Amino acid sequence: MIFPSSLPWTEDQSLGEHLAGSGVSRRDFLAFCGEMAVILGLGSTLTPQIVKALEQTRRPSVIWLQLQECTGCVESVIRTAEPTIGDLVLDLISLDYNHTLMAAAGSAAESALHQAMEENDGQYLLLVTGSVPLNEDGIYTTIGGRTAKEVLEEAAEGAAAVIAIGACAHWGNIQASNPNPTGAVGVSQIVFDKPVVNIAGCPPIADVVTATLVHYLTFGRVPDLDADGRPLFAYGARIHDQCPRRAHFDAGQFVEEFDDDSARRGWCLYKVGCKGPACFSPCPIFQWNTRTNWPIGAGHPCIGCTERDFWDRYTPFYDRLPEVAGFGVESTADTIGFALAAGATAGVAAHAVATGVHRARMRHRGEYSRIDVIPPGEEDELPNEEGDDGQN
Amino acid sequence: MTPGSRLRVFERTTSQPQLGVKPGYRWVYVWHWPIRAMHWWAAGCIVLLAASGLYIGKPYFMTAGEPSAHYLMGWARMIHFAAAGLLVATGIVRVYWLFVGNRYERWRALFPVHRQDWVHAYQILLKYAFVRPLEAPHYLGHNPLQQFLFTFVYLVVVIQVVTGFTLYGLANPGGFFATMFGWVAPMMGGLQLVRFIHHVNTWFFMIFIPVHVYMSLRADLVHREARVSSIVSGGRFVREDVPFEDV
Repeated sequence: MIFPSSLPWTEDQSLGEHLAGSGVSRRDFLAFCGEMAVILGLGSTLTPQIVKALEQTRRPSVIWLQLQECTGCVESVIRTAEPTIGDLVLDLISLDYNHTLMAAAGSAAESALHQAMEENDGQYLLLVTGSVPLNEDGIYTTIGGRTAKEVLEEAAEGAAAVIAIGACAHWGNIQASNPNPTGAVGVSQIVFDKPVVNIAGCPPIADVVTATLVHYLTFGRVPDLDADGRPLFAYGARIHDQCPRRAHFDAGQFVEEFDDDSARRGWCLYKVGCKGPACFSPCPIFQWNTRTNWPIGAGHPCIGCTERDFWDRYTPFYDRLPEVAGFGVESTADTIGFALAAGATAGVAAHAVATGVHRARMRHRGEYSRIDVIPPGEEDELPNEEGDDGQN
Repeated sequence: MTPGSRLRVFERTTSQPQLGVKPGYRWVYVWHWPIRAMHWWAAGCIVLLAASGLYIGKPYFMTAGEPSAHYLMGWARMIHFAAAGLLVATGIVRVYWLFVGNRYERWRALFPVHRQDWVHAYQILLKYAFVRPLEAPHYLGHNPLQQFLFTFVYLVVVIQVVTGFTLYGLANPGGFFATMFGWVAPMMGGLQLVRFIHHVNTWFFMIFIPVHVYMSLRADLVHREARVSSIVSGGRFVREDVPFEDV
């Protein structure tokens, strides 16, 4: 309805009819359904069920709220090098409201939102990008004169499910990072009574959004989620364990500078701070821009953007470990650890020398240096270290 | 130990002369063989863990050529994980032995509890500072300072095991380790902090090992306390006329 599409999906059409009318071949549609089955980890046996469900799907109503964010997630979802059926599904899922992409503005846009909410009460899908600021009663983001919190709470009221797209909607992202001046939080900290799916990432991969929608349209429920509310089909494995550069990690071949020979050979980015070992995301498999490339493929370490609080907890981005506060920026844990270990060894040596000095002094004074258990008069029975001073 | 009961070994052990022991000395059995086996087993594991762990944390050796020809990091991780498993195995036996061991090995010996013990800890501290070395009390098992230190070692090992299994579980989300230790990362403030704590604690062992070896050798060479031999043979030769706090 709002996306620029020459052939809008009308109320009386099923998705199958609409795709056929748009010139999408049956073969391409089946291939798309098979791909979605694989992405969702369902296997090929369930492909017919996806085909059937999608074909018969009536136009679902989708409301897309954009709160405190940079619009990058919308860009990621709509930008691909070539239109795929996945984009088509995304394009076509009848976005009733998205204030970046819709033609309407002002009160017309707001009335479109309310109309969609009333007509599809309890039925519509709510997509949210952006965080919700709570400080100063939420005045940091207002839409149509109302705070982001009010807008979200109202829209979530009648939603069938809420899909939080991107790190902002997931946990608040950079605006929620220390010191979080606006008091930004994610959607799951506002909406408790509805299933909230977190499509993590800054930005997230469009395919994950598409596959989540397909799962919802096929099975009528959101996919299985991990402890952080992220779909397991996408966030169920570490980048490190799916990485095409993993062989270099196992072999002990690492990039140390971004312009060294190892970097040119495409070795592992572990030593330049790759957070792949602590980051769960399907990036190595799905990739971006119609599977063109992804950060590690382009020679840049993963920054862990699908993880909660990554700006605070996964920084510095170009070092393996967080820095130790209070010891200066150059002092890493290893430097301090090595200094302490060397200090302990030196201290031990110094103590050994002091022991020798102490004993020598005792001997010089003529006091028997029975530092411990050797009682007077019996030292001759022991290996005699004390000299034959005949004292005691 | 009852405070103030500076009993002599002589009075509490058999009055029969021991064969092959110099007159005036007693041979006292302190550490059962499982404790000794666990000590050396754990020592080996910790050395392997620290060496492989420091490599994993900062891979200072690199290989050249095709990755298919090498498995350096793979071996380091294999050694690390295997040694960790063996260390946990010793830990389980050690916990069991806390309840069936002798008085020097039992859970009561983990911490100094009596006020007198704290006084003794202070006196022993003074001894090591060369202040009044003759007044420090003697112990057959661990003295209060040693109790603190070795219990702290256990604590660090437990932290290492918990954080280590948290990181190990990442490779198989939904698996045993990811399920059992899933609570650690949120509690500690994220996976990178878990990694950081695991890494920094390695340096504790790098500090502990030289100090421990020095103190043990010093106890033997200077104080003639037969500490090193006690963890090899299990027994100590002690003078009959020296009072011990924990007979």
